[in-house]
Amino acid sequence: MLTPEHIKEVLKDHTINLRFHARGGQGGVTASNLCVEAFYGFGICQPRFGAERMGSPTESYVRLSANLDLIRSNEQVYSPHFVSVLDPSLLGEIDVTAGLPKGGWLIVNTTIDQLTIQETVKRKDINIATIDATRIALDVLGRNITNTIILGALLRVSYIFTFEELSDAIMRRFTGELAAKNIAAIKQAIEETCIYDIGLDPDFTVDTKVPWQQLDLGLPGYKELDKAGVWYNDEEVISVGSNQVNTGSWGEWDVLWDEEKCTDCAQCWYICPDFAIVRKKGEDGLWHMAGIDRYHCKSCLNCLEICPVDAIDKRLKQGPAACAVPEEEGGK
Amino acid sequence: MSIEPMRIFFKEIKEPIRTTMIGNYAVAGAVTQTDPDVICAFPITPQTQSVEGLSDVVHQGRLKAAFVNVESELAAISYSTAASAAGARVFTATASQGYLLMSEALPMAVGWRVPLTMMISARAFNAPNLSIWNSWEFVLTDYGWNCIVSENVQETYDAAILSVMISEDSLFPTMFVHDGFIISHSVQNLTLIPDAVVLNLTPKKPRHTITPEHPGTWGGIVTPSFFMEGRKNLDEAKEPVLNIIENAFKRFREATGREYNLIETYNLDNSSKTAFITMGSMCGNIVSWMTKNKDVGLIKIRAYRPFPYEQLQKIVKDHNIEKLIILEKSDSLNNLLPPFSSSIATALYPLGTLFRCFIVGLGGRDVTRDEFDIAKKKMEKVTDMKGKLYTYLGVRETKDKIFEVDT
Repeated sequence: MLTPEHIKEVLKDHTINLRFHARGGQGGVTASNLCVEAFYGFGICQPRFGAERMGSPTESYVRLSANLDLIRSNEQVYSPHFVSVLDPSLLGEIDVTAGLPKGGWLIVNTTIDQLTIQETVKRKDINIATIDATRIALDVLGRNITNTIILGALLRVSYIFTFEELSDAIMRRFTGELAAKNIAAIKQAIEETCIYDIGLDPDFTVDTKVPWQQLDLGLPGYKELDKAGVWYNDEEVISVGSNQVNTGSWGEWDVLWDEEKCTDCAQCWYICPDFAIVRKKGEDGLWHMAGIDRYHCKSCLNCLEICPVDAIDKRLKQGPAACAVPEEEGGK
Repeated sequence: MSIEPMRIFFKEIKEPIRTTMIGNYAVAGAVTQTDPDVICAFPITPQTQSVEGLSDVVHQGRLKAAFVNVESELAAISYSTAASAAGARVFTATASQGYLLMSEALPMAVGWRVPLTMMISARAFNAPNLSIWNSWEFVLTDYGWNCIVSENVQETYDAAILSVMISEDSLFPTMFVHDGFIISHSVQNLTLIPDAVVLNLTPKKPRHTITPEHPGTWGGIVTPSFFMEGRKNLDEAKEPVLNIIENAFKRFREATGREYNLIETYNLDNSSKTAFITMGSMCGNIVSWMTKNKDVGLIKIRAYRPFPYEQLQKIVKDHNIEKLIILEKSDSLNNLLPPFSSSIATALYPLGTLFRCFIVGLGGRDVTRDEFDIAKKKMEKVTDMKGKLYTYLGVRETKDKIFEVDT
């Protein structure tokens, strides 16, 4: 079990690294910003750089230390000691324990028990803390924003800052009633956090970054690109760029295609910004509509708008992404 | 980001405040404090929040500036140059393709000697692929702008103020650069300077004017009998600029206690007589790495244009540096060395110091301890200046092989 004294000692000559997993709109980046704001020493917070959309999985990283020289590095965080997950649906979708050393902490907003989480993430060598942040958020804040609440659970297990330091940071960041509500929610979170401690602490002196991890070995090298920068949709696509991104998990809607009504006019194929309309060459030598690529369809609904025969319909997803949409905007 | 990121700048800042902020908002805050008359820029990732933040303070009423929306970066720089020529204090900002689109008007700001300031969130050019991530695009062209490069959020905040001082003292436009995303979107600790101190450092002086009483022509055509005199005139005007920058740093230190130099050095009297030389956010990575690698030093270029040749020569000579490891976030498909390295090579020419250039971190590739370890190791084997002087570091050759690295 970590103690405040131990953590303070570690921070003198080492860094403590954090990672936050959330979905766009849930405020994971704000949570990590607040860590830097609340911490008494030096800190740096980096979002995973790139595009963020409502509902898409996001990551942000924090590095904290009392030693300024260690914090000057802008290297990304490869081995977080504490990982916080704001949305339980991410557990199955993303490797949330990547780089987490043994004895590290996984903090999840969930009602699932810790043993089930252990099985889901396939790690028995990590400590787990759970908090039903969604319920606290709805009770206290009146809306499902869990980012400050997860910080309550984080501070309960990590001691990187105190409740008072976090409250001060919240008051600098939020105004009036909103600040008071968030502080009340954090207080409740500290009390309600469930801890599953395996009796092993992370070794803060060892950095477990794999050498050259940043190079993503396994993807094509420069010699394997026959024409850099150009690829055709109909050919075997080099798995770089947007092809890798599961934009399908971002959308609010499942887009449905009615084969009976479809006239193969291909207007949807032209208008789709993500090549998510699948077509196949038939025996007649012509292209025919074949379905929707759910992995890439982010439900912009352009196809539904343009279809002249109503062959395309939509259905609200019951899955994770819908949770990320605030209720007043039609989410559930 | 959270609600009202610029809130701290909505009121007068009366004493130094330690806070946390991303690079872009920090710049927006510093620019607010310098009280510009005109803000004119076109949004482009990763520069966007700097102008967005300024629109907040203008909208809120804290800053009485003309916030001008334009249709492109070319319009932004043209408008800014003209406003500056009319005597206004002007701020603009861009990155990457936006900087390219500005190209046509960039030399004019120099030629007319307008004290314009521009922030650049360094980002790759789109070739062969579109990348919104960090490379050094600003080194690839040199039209005579002053240029200072920042390592972290504190430095880029300070640079926004320093640039106004440097521009107005030198009457040359100044760009200040931070690495896109790495600094522009990272939250770091910084200490804000009180408004009164900033205004004291950047008093508004009578500069250019455009009035009907005193009409003039800007950029009119000249015959071959005049153009060269104009260029030589600019050349001579550039000579004192490094002194002006040093002087600005000095005044800044006296007012805030934060010390900057044209070139900053770390651990140069080391056992291997070897030093890294680079600029921007990578310097921080090296400083952290050096806590465990004490046999190598670091030279950090803060003032990139005009390039401090003499100062660099003096540092290398005074510390008997024998080998320099240049890290550069840009490449050159045609030249012997990429632009930043070329400047260093020119400075080292009379000294005969050994060096190699390592091209790293293009398009947002993370530059880590692995690159520093290998670069240092490779440099140990260098004994002459034969062969290719640059190489790429941290690139996949094939699916399972790293280019010129044995794993």
